[in-house]
Amino acid sequence: MTLAARNLVCSYGPTRALDGVDLEVAGDSILAVFGPNGAGKTTLLKALSGERKPDAGRVVADGKAVTGSDPAWRGRVGLVSHRTGLYMKLTVMENLLFFASLHAVAGPADAASAALAAVGGRELAGTRAEALSRGQRQRIALARALLHDPDILFLDEPFSGLDPSGADALATMLGARRSPERIIVLVTHDLRRGLGLADRVVLLRRGRKVLDAARAECEPEALLELFTGDARGRA
Amino acid sequence: MTSLRWIWLIARKDLRAEFRSGGRIAAMLAFSVLACFLFSFSLDRTLVSGREIASGLLWLTVLFASISGAGRTFDSEEEDGAFRHLLLSPVSRHSIFLGKAAANLVAVALVAVFTLFALTLFFAIASPGPVVLHAAILLPGTIGLAAAGTFFGLISRQSNLGDSLLPALTFPVLVPLVFFGATASSRVFLDRPWAEISGSARLLWAFAIGFVAVGSLLFRYLTEE
Repeated sequence: MTLAARNLVCSYGPTRALDGVDLEVAGDSILAVFGPNGAGKTTLLKALSGERKPDAGRVVADGKAVTGSDPAWRGRVGLVSHRTGLYMKLTVMENLLFFASLHAVAGPADAASAALAAVGGRELAGTRAEALSRGQRQRIALARALLHDPDILFLDEPFSGLDPSGADALATMLGARRSPERIIVLVTHDLRRGLGLADRVVLLRRGRKVLDAARAECEPEALLELFTGDARGRA
Repeated sequence: MTSLRWIWLIARKDLRAEFRSGGRIAAMLAFSVLACFLFSFSLDRTLVSGREIASGLLWLTVLFASISGAGRTFDSEEEDGAFRHLLLSPVSRHSIFLGKAAANLVAVALVAVFTLFALTLFFAIASPGPVVLHAAILLPGTIGLAAAGTFFGLISRQSNLGDSLLPALTFPVLVPLVFFGATASSRVFLDRPWAEISGSARLLWAFAIGFVAVGSLLFRYLTEE
């Protein structure tokens, strides 16, 4: 499994959120995309997942160009974001069954139960999402994203609002998902968490890629300097 | 077959959430009762009979109630960002539109039936006309209202003006539908033969099909970033 971005350009009006970004990530790896606010991280994730059509450039998976208008591509993608995407009036199990059915998962009830068990939320099955804590909701959101066993899991600031134990549990679950057939793309400005998980690191600044390196080659201090240097420059 | 299943899943999910929260349909029904109550006191029935004005009041009440409800069609989707996940699923855009419009249709149809009942009660209409003919008129009318409400509900949500934009968008588009609906219902209330009603009914179906088709086709452009 490989995922690549080729010269991606995305604009919001006159502002270029992504300005010719190239990157490539292979299976069995976790790519962490860092950058200060407004660097284009979420836009990059949206372009890669197909949520946003790039103004120029393309996304290539396993050598073939893919777009969000292709339902087959959307079926290969999972997403966890800082907003959990749960329906508050539905119970946890109803939320999972709904999304399992949309993805045509075989045996949706069993798949939902298994996903719930995997995130340690079996006892929450009958609870409405509105009654859950932030950390519990995030665990259920991860279960929802994994229901259809996506090839590529996108995480948009998944640690936002989680307490340290919740963030640790999420990191452990993500680490356990590594496989040659799977890719995880993590967008965050939590350097410590991101570096703890990543095999590959990309740093964006004002829509441009300023660093693309293996995790082992990245010194956290140097990365922090690049990260905060930009923030100072903008201030 | 897959599309029908997606439509059913989305409509069922919306209705389940709707009946649990109760807010939107309850507000629409409350508006209907209030409107019928006020109309019944404000109109001098020694000058005009209930049967003669009921159709106008029926369609006016259903129109306003459906527009007030349409603004909240996407509430559950936006509460914690669920719409982003729905759009990223393999479900086709037209299935999402039709599923949400179907859930809207149930709410609008409930209000229409309830308003019809309330009007006959408040205006003491002993013989409101055949129920089947009322259904034959209200069905395409409520389909049109639900489809237009769903479509414009999303547009107004995406605009900075929010729900305040909704009446300005929907009224001009819905005027013909309400006009033919009120005309046809009036004839039903007055026990006219079907031959006098069928022309308006056909036009109502044409509008309903048109709103559903246009909404299904254009919905994908509204949901593209």
